[in-house]
This record gives sequence, C-alpha cells and structure tokens, in this order.
Amino acid sequence: MKIKLSNEYYKKIIESIIFVSDKPVKVEALKGYFKDLQPSELKEILDELVQEWDKLNRGFKLELVSGGYHFRTRSDLSTEIIEYNKEIKKFRLSRAALEVLAITAYKQPLTRIDVDQIRGVDSSGVLNLLLDKRLIEIKGRKDVPGRPFLYITTEEFLETFGLNSLKDLPSLKELEEISKDIGELL
Amino acid sequence: MEQLELPYVVKLNIYQGPLDLLLELIKKNKVDIYDIPIAVITDQYLEYLEIIKLTNMETVGDYLSLAAELGYIKSRMLLPLPQEDEDENIEDPRAELVRRLIEYEKYRKIADELNEMDVLGREIFQAGTDYYDEFGDPDVETEMMKTDMWSLIEAFRDFCKRRQLDFSEDLRFELESYSIRERGQEILYILRDKGQILFYDIFGDKPKKIDLVITFIALLEIVKDGLAGISQSGKHENIEIIFIGEDKIE
Repeated sequence: MKIKLSNEYYKKIIESIIFVSDKPVKVEALKGYFKDLQPSELKEILDELVQEWDKLNRGFKLELVSGGYHFRTRSDLSTEIIEYNKEIKKFRLSRAALEVLAITAYKQPLTRIDVDQIRGVDSSGVLNLLLDKRLIEIKGRKDVPGRPFLYITTEEFLETFGLNSLKDLPSLKELEEISKDIGELL
Repeated sequence: MEQLELPYVVKLNIYQGPLDLLLELIKKNKVDIYDIPIAVITDQYLEYLEIIKLTNMETVGDYLSLAAELGYIKSRMLLPLPQEDEDENIEDPRAELVRRLIEYEKYRKIADELNEMDVLGREIFQAGTDYYDEFGDPDVETEMMKTDMWSLIEAFRDFCKRRQLDFSEDLRFELESYSIRERGQEILYILRDKGQILFYDIFGDKPKKIDLVITFIALLEIVKDGLAGISQSGKHENIEIIFIGEDKIE
C-alpha cells in the first residue's frame, strides 16, 4: 500500500478482514500488514471501530479476545440462537472440569500431581477432557523423577471465556482477598 | 406404551472429592474453618463415606486417605499439649488441613467465577466456529510451520480417540511380533518410496495397542536420528512426516 489512506478506509479494510476470519485477528498481525500505520494510529482505529460497532447496538459487536479482534454475538441472544440452530452443541463444563481449569489457569505450567494435590482427588480424566476440548495443552515435561507432563491453558481457553490475556483473570491480590473472605464466610 | 416405573433412586449431593465434601460439611455445620470441631466433622465425614462406598466404589480411595488423616488429627487433638516452654511454635494439628481447605476453596470460587462468565458456545457465538464437531477438521490446508514432539503426542492421543480404539480386547499375551528397529526400517522404506506420509496413515487400519506403541516410538527414533522431519500446518492440524535421508544407515 503506497498512498496513505483515510482512517475511514482503513476501518473498512480492517473490519472486513476481521469479518471473514474464523479466529480473532491478532493486533500483531494487523501491525505487520499495515506497515504505514503507527501502532498508536492502528490502536486508535481499532478502538473507534469497537466503539462504533457497539454504538450501533446490533446483535453482535467487535471484541478484543486472546490478543485479537473478532465479531461476537451479544450474550443475551443465546437462547434464540441455540433454539434456531438445533445442531449447536451447547458448551458445557462439569464442576470438576471448571476447578481443574481454574487451577491450571493460575498455576501454569503445572503437572497432574499439582492439580491432584489441590483438589485431593485424581484429576487425570478431567485433564484429558480439557485436552480434548483444547482448553489446555501439554507444554513439555517437568524435570523431576518420572518427567511428568506440564499443562498450560490455550488461546482457545482465552477465546472461550472472552479474555484478552491471562492478566484479565482476577489478580492474585484479589485472590488473596478471596482467601480472607473465605475465612469469614465459612 | 406404558413406561415401566424406574426403581426409586436417591440422588445424593455429588461431591468433587474429599476436600469438597469436607468444605460442605464445614459450611453445613456453620463452624469456623480455623477452629474445626474435628470429632463432630470426622463422624459426619465417615457417615458420608459409608454412602459413597455403596454408590461409587472407584473414588472411595481418595476419600479414605482423608478419613485416615482426620482420624490422625483427632487423636492428636486428644493428646495433652506439651508444657508451654520457650517453644511456643507448636502448630495446631489441624493447621495443615486448614491451609489445604482454604487453598482448594479459593479455586472452587474461581471455578464459579469462570462459570458465570459469558462463555463462547453458551452465551456468545461467532461466525466460523464449529460448534458441532468436537475435534474440529484435521484436513484443512494451511501454511506449513515447524512442529514439535508435543504436537506429535497430542496427535497420537487424537488418533486413538478418533479411531475409538478399544484396547480392552487386546488383553492377551503374545510374542512381540517385531521390534522398534524393524518397524523403523519399515517406516523408512515407505518414506523413501513416497517422500512423505501423513502421521495418521502410518498406523494402518486396525492397529493393536502394541503396534501403535512400537510405531510411535519408532517414529520418534527416526526423527531423533534426523532421518525424517515432521511438520504441521497449524496447531491441531494434520502432521506430516517428511523423508530427509539415511546416509548413516546405508
């Protein structure tokens, strides 16, 4: 691209790229493609796009998840979407799976034994299920006897829970607060 | 047609494990987690254990070990504390358990928080996502990138899942039909001929468990020896094995 284009034109290109993508379009990838745009200019354009789509108040909006932009439906429309499209298998996770996912998200990379110790129960079945659902993945082995697998959460995990990065999870400080509250609650 | 009446089934609270059960008991009894009345809680815990024994034999082991721990704490609580000397740092026998309970409760809370979020495929939807096929489409062609052993291991898991291999019928003792080295030679033979082959194709149609294991190890050996490379077009995509050469062998 040689001529400097107007912001409006960039917006059209960018939103079309996002529209046809089946995965969030990474900010880094956009930076790499629109070389004539300063990162700050690109950010401004993206921010405006998000706001403009949101202002339209239509059924879907532009959202930043897992380091990229994607069009996603508004959460209050799910009943009709599922009702209309009967083949959709609604996403479901058991309590156990959610627990293992929570532990993995905060303690990664970690081994099965680490998970078992926190939950006090064997979690290998649940870990396999989460691997199948691509919410976690194996990332090497721990350098201890037995060389157990290390598990981490995936980009799909961030996409599934609508997080931009792991930093969007409640911070460890907030977690400590939770711990304190637990003492009072119980 | 008239339905036969099902036998009366008592549905129990399903606990996620011994710690989960213990936390529920503490909540139910409205006791202070830092001052758990061990005797009372242990008795109730053991009562539940009896029910779990009847309904869920598989998980009973996990519950038993905590029961033993509770018994141990209970016995230590009964022992008189040593005279209060300079050494005042004698820890409450319950302290370690309380720490574990609080740690676990923390993650139970986060699990709840995760569950309350707007989840893709439940509250939120997007175009292009396959909500129907659990394992996605492996035959999508995209740009090649280098892959690592972990992808191979994941692909191996996928392969077993996909074929829904039932290993239970393989519980027979047989002489090993061939060695890893032989299998390796076989794979190399195919590779030399075809140049490259898909990961899923090297296992054949109805492999036995031992064949799968030997083939997989043989493949790892070949890659380790630098005789073949592996490449994958993207995460969770099909893995290709590409012939490099075997000067060393010939």
